[in-house]
Amino acid sequence: MPSLLVVMIFLPAIAAVALLLLDPQATAVRARWVALLGTVTTFLVSWGVAAQFLALPEVSASARGPVHPQMVLRHTWLDLSQAGPQSPGVKLEFFLGLDGISLSLVLLTTILSISSVLVSWTAIKDRAAEFYACLLILETGLIGVFCSFDILLFYVFFEFTLIPLFFLVGIWGGPLRRYAAGKFFVYTLGGSLITLLGLVSLVVTTVQANPGLTTPFSIPDLANALTQNPLDKSVQLTLFLMIAAGFMVKVPLFPFHTWLPLAHVEAPTAGSVLLAGVLLKLGTYGFLRMLLPMLPYACLHTGLPLIGAMASIGIVYGSLCALSQNDIKKLVAYSSVAHLGFCMLGLFALNVEGISGGVLQMINHGLSTGALFCIVGMFYERYHTRQLNELGGIATKLPLMGVAMVFTSFASIGLPGLNGFVGEFLCLAGMFRAGDGQGVIFSALGAMGVVLGAWYLLGVVQHAFFGPVHLPAEHHGPGHEPIADLNAREVAALAPLLVLCLVLGLFPQPLLNLIRPDVEAVAKLYGNVQATNPNAEQHASLNNHASQKNLPSVALGSEVRP
Amino acid sequence: MNAAIQQLNNAFSLIAPDAVLLAAVCLIFFAAPFLVNDRGEAPVGLRHRWGCLSLLALLIAGCVWWQSPPVTRTLGPFVLDELTWYIRGLTLTFGVILVLLHWNQADDARSAESHACLLAILAGVNLIAASNDLVGLFVALELVSIPTYLFLLLPRRDAPAQEATLKYFLLSIFSSAVVLFGMSYLYGATGTTNLSGIHAAFSAAHGQQANPLVAVATVMLIAGLGFRLTAVPFHFYAPDVFQGAPTSAAAMLSFIPKIAGFVALLRLMVPATGAEQAINPWTMTPAATPLLWWLAVATMFVGNLMALMQTDIRRLLAYSSVSHAGYMMVGLLVGMEHEGQKHLLTKAIPQSVSGIGAMLFYLAVYGAMTLGTFAVLIAAARTDKRIETFDDLSGLSRTRPALALLLAIFLFSLAGLPPTAGFLGKLNLFFAAWAQGYESSKWLAVILAINAALGAWFYLKIIGVMFLREPVNRSPQETIIETPSLIAAGLCLVGTLGLFFLPGWLWVPIQSIMP
Repeated sequence: MPSLLVVMIFLPAIAAVALLLLDPQATAVRARWVALLGTVTTFLVSWGVAAQFLALPEVSASARGPVHPQMVLRHTWLDLSQAGPQSPGVKLEFFLGLDGISLSLVLLTTILSISSVLVSWTAIKDRAAEFYACLLILETGLIGVFCSFDILLFYVFFEFTLIPLFFLVGIWGGPLRRYAAGKFFVYTLGGSLITLLGLVSLVVTTVQANPGLTTPFSIPDLANALTQNPLDKSVQLTLFLMIAAGFMVKVPLFPFHTWLPLAHVEAPTAGSVLLAGVLLKLGTYGFLRMLLPMLPYACLHTGLPLIGAMASIGIVYGSLCALSQNDIKKLVAYSSVAHLGFCMLGLFALNVEGISGGVLQMINHGLSTGALFCIVGMFYERYHTRQLNELGGIATKLPLMGVAMVFTSFASIGLPGLNGFVGEFLCLAGMFRAGDGQGVIFSALGAMGVVLGAWYLLGVVQHAFFGPVHLPAEHHGPGHEPIADLNAREVAALAPLLVLCLVLGLFPQPLLNLIRPDVEAVAKLYGNVQATNPNAEQHASLNNHASQKNLPSVALGSEVRP
Repeated sequence: MNAAIQQLNNAFSLIAPDAVLLAAVCLIFFAAPFLVNDRGEAPVGLRHRWGCLSLLALLIAGCVWWQSPPVTRTLGPFVLDELTWYIRGLTLTFGVILVLLHWNQADDARSAESHACLLAILAGVNLIAASNDLVGLFVALELVSIPTYLFLLLPRRDAPAQEATLKYFLLSIFSSAVVLFGMSYLYGATGTTNLSGIHAAFSAAHGQQANPLVAVATVMLIAGLGFRLTAVPFHFYAPDVFQGAPTSAAAMLSFIPKIAGFVALLRLMVPATGAEQAINPWTMTPAATPLLWWLAVATMFVGNLMALMQTDIRRLLAYSSVSHAGYMMVGLLVGMEHEGQKHLLTKAIPQSVSGIGAMLFYLAVYGAMTLGTFAVLIAAARTDKRIETFDDLSGLSRTRPALALLLAIFLFSLAGLPPTAGFLGKLNLFFAAWAQGYESSKWLAVILAINAALGAWFYLKIIGVMFLREPVNRSPQETIIETPSLIAAGLCLVGTLGLFFLPGWLWVPIQSIMP
C-alpha cells in the first residue's frame, strides 16, 4: 500500500497517462471530465495528506534541524561511491516528505489545478487530450518539487516542470507562442544549470568538510551538517551566487524577468494560472529551502543587500511597467514581478515575520494572481481582446464578473481584510527591521510598490469594468453564443480562490501556525528568533484569545506585528 | 609446444563471445552467395532470415558472455577484466538494437553481407576491450574499420552513399596509420608491445626524465583515436557521412566507434585494474591531459554551436554526437587525472565519483538515447522518402503521435533533462569533474554546463518542429510500419527511462571496474 503522499504526487500523472494511452483521440468533452476527475481526486487526496500531517505530534524546536520534513519516505536511488564497500559512499535518494511550508504550497497547487482545468473547459478544443495530459503532468511535477527533500530529486522535479509547460505554451499559446516557449525554456534551463553546478559543488564541499556525512544530498542532513560546521565565508558567497542564479530567473528577480511577460501573454489561460500561481513559487521556494538554511553567512551579508535591492527595484520597476501596459494580461504579468518582489523581500528579511510573510505572500499571490488570470481569460474568451483601450464598462454588462474582478483586485492590492494585506504587511515589517538600516530603504521602496499596485489595478477596474460601455462589436463568427455573465463552471473556477483570499485575510493565523515551526527553525540560524520568541508566544496566546472570543475583526494579522 | 597450446586455449576462453560472433560472420559470408541467383536477386524476405540469424548469434554470444565472469589479468594477449566484461555487455546489447535498426535497411540480396559486417564490427569492439597487446589492439581496431566501409556502402549504392563511404574510408585509413605510428613510438620507448608490460615500464621509470618518445606517441594515439571519437578537429567527416550513409549506418557510426575509441584510450592511458600509477613524467598522462582538455572544450563547443545551425536532421545528429563525445572526454580526462593521483586523492576526497565511471555510464546512456533517436527516424520514414530535413518531421505529433512522443523523450534525454538517464549521465560527469578538485576540472564542469544549455536549444528546436508545427504534405497512407525499429526504439526507451530510476543496475558493474 503506497503512502498517501506518493499517491498524491503521482495521481495526476497516472490520470494523464490514462488520458493519452486509453484514448489519444478522446473528444474534448471526455478529456476534460477525466482531467477534472483527476484534479479533484488529487485535491481530496491532498486534504487527506494534510489531515495526516496535522495529526502528527509536534516536534520540539530543540529536536529538529533547520529543515525537518515529516511523513518521510526514503529509498536509495544511486550510490555514487567509488571507494568500495568499506566506504559509506555518497547516496542519491528518493526522499519524499512534507513540512508546513511545503504542505501549504501543495494545497495551493491542487486548488489551482482544478481552477485551471475549469477555465480551459471551452477554451481548449484542439488536441484537448494532450492539453489536459500536459496540465496533469505539470501538476505532478509541481507537487513533486514541494515534496522532495533530496537535492537532486528536487532538481529533477524542478527541471521536469519545464517540459509540460513548454508544450502548454508552445502548442496552445498565442501568436508568438513558439518564440515565447523557446525563450522561456532556454532562459530558465540556462539559469538552473548554473544552479545545478552550484548544488553539486555545495555537496562536494560539504562532504569534504564532513567526511562522515553519508547522505549529503538529503536537504535536512545537509542543512544539519552545515549548521554544525558552516562553510568558509568566501566559499559561501560563490556558492550562493551560483545556486541563486537559477532561482533568480525562476522567481523572476528584476534583471532576469524578461521571459516572464512574454511567456504569460502567450500562454493559454490555464498555463498562465499555473505559471503565475505555482511555477514562480518554485524559485522562492528554492531560495527558502536551499539557500536560507544552508548558507547563512552569504544570505545575510550578500543575499540581504543584493536580493533586497533586486527585489525592491523589481517591485517599483514591475509596477511602473504594469502601469504603462495596454494589454491586461501583460499588466498582470508585470504585477507578478512586483508581487514576487515582496515575497523575496520578506524571505531575505531573515527573521520570523519576514519569512512567514514571504511564505504567506507566495500563497496569496498564487490565489489572487491566479484568479486575475482566470478573469482575464474569461473576458478574452468573450470579447477576443485584452486591450485596455478597447474595453469599457464590462461590469455593466457582466455584473458577476465585475464583482469578481473588483474583489480580486482588492485582494491583489492588499486591502485590509483580504489576504494580500497580511502577506505584504509582514514582508515589509520584517524587512524594515532587517539589515542595519538598508532594510528601511528596501521596505520604503516596497511600500511605494503597494501604492503603484493600487494605481494600476484600480486603473484596469476603472477603465475596463466601469465607465462608459464600449465593448468590441460582436465580430466573432456566427454560431457563437451570445455574451453572457459568468456561468456556473466559471464561478466554480473562481469561487474557491476568492473565498480563500477572504479567509486567509481574516484568519491568517492557522496558516501562520502551520508554517511557524519551519520558519522559526530557519530564522533561528540568523539569531533573530531569540528576540522575537517571547513576543511570538505572547501573540500566539493573544490569537487564542481572539479566536476564543470569536472576534475575527481583530485578527487582521496584526497580532504578529512586531 | 604444449605450453603454447595451453596458452592459446586459455586465450580462446577469454574471447569466446567474440569468437561466436566471428563464427557467425564466417557462416553468413559463406552461405550468402548460395542464396542469391546469377542476376543478384534473392528470394523475397530473405533479409528477415539473416536478421534472425544475427540476433541468434548475438544471443549465443550473450549467453557465453554471461557465463564468463572476469578473471585475473595475465601477461597473455587478451584480458578479461571488469572493463572487458562491461564493454562486451554494452556492445552485445546495443548490437541487438543495431541489428533491429538495420533489419529493413538493406535489400534482400545484400542483407547477408551487411549483417555480417555489423557482427564483425561488434566483435572488433569486443576485441579492443579484450586486447592486452598493441598488435592485438591495432588488429581489433581494423576489425572495426574495414567492415564499416562495407556497412556504409552495401545497403545503398547511390552517389551520396558512395561519397560518404569514400570520405570515411580515406580518413579512417589515415587515422589508422597515425595510430600505428603512435604505437610504434610507444614500443620504441618501452621495448614491449604488451600493455601490461608498457604500464610496468612506466612505473619502473619513476623518477627519470620525461621521455619525448612517449609524448609523441601520446599525441599520435589521441589524434588517431580522436577520429573515431569524432573529437574536434577530427570530426569534419561526420556530418557528411551521417548525411549520406543509410540511417542504420549513421546510427552505428554515432555510437560504436565511440566505444571503440574510448576503450582503446582507456586501455592505453590508464593502467589496468588494481595497478596504481604514480605521478610520473614518463607516463602518457602529462602529455595527454592538456591535449585532452583542449580537445574536450573544442569538441563540446564546436559540436553544439554547429548543431545550432543545421537544418538537416542527420547533420544535426552528427554534430550532436560530436558534442557528446566532448562530454565523455571530460569524464575520461578527469578520470585519468583521478587515477593518476588516486593515492593522494582518496585521502582528501574519499567519496568522489571517478570520471571514468561517469564516462562509462554516460557511454551506455548515450547509446540508448542516440540509437533510440535513429530508431524513431527509421520508423517515421515514409515509403518514398526517409526523414532528412526538419520539414519531414514537421507536425509528426499529428500524424504519428506515439513516435513523436518517443523521439521527444530521446531528445530530452540527449539534452540532459530529467526524468531521463541523460540527466543522470551528465550529473555524474558534473560531479566527477567538480569533485576532482583541480581548477581546470572545475572549468570543464562549467563549460559542460554551458554546453548542456546550448545543446538543449537545438534539441528543443526539433521537438518544437514536431509538436508546434503543422504537418507539411500530410499523407498518412504513405507511412510504413517498421516493426523492428519500433521494437528497438522500445528497448532504447526502457534503457533511457529505466536507467534514470534504477541506475544501480549499471552503476554496480561500473564501480567494480575502477575500484
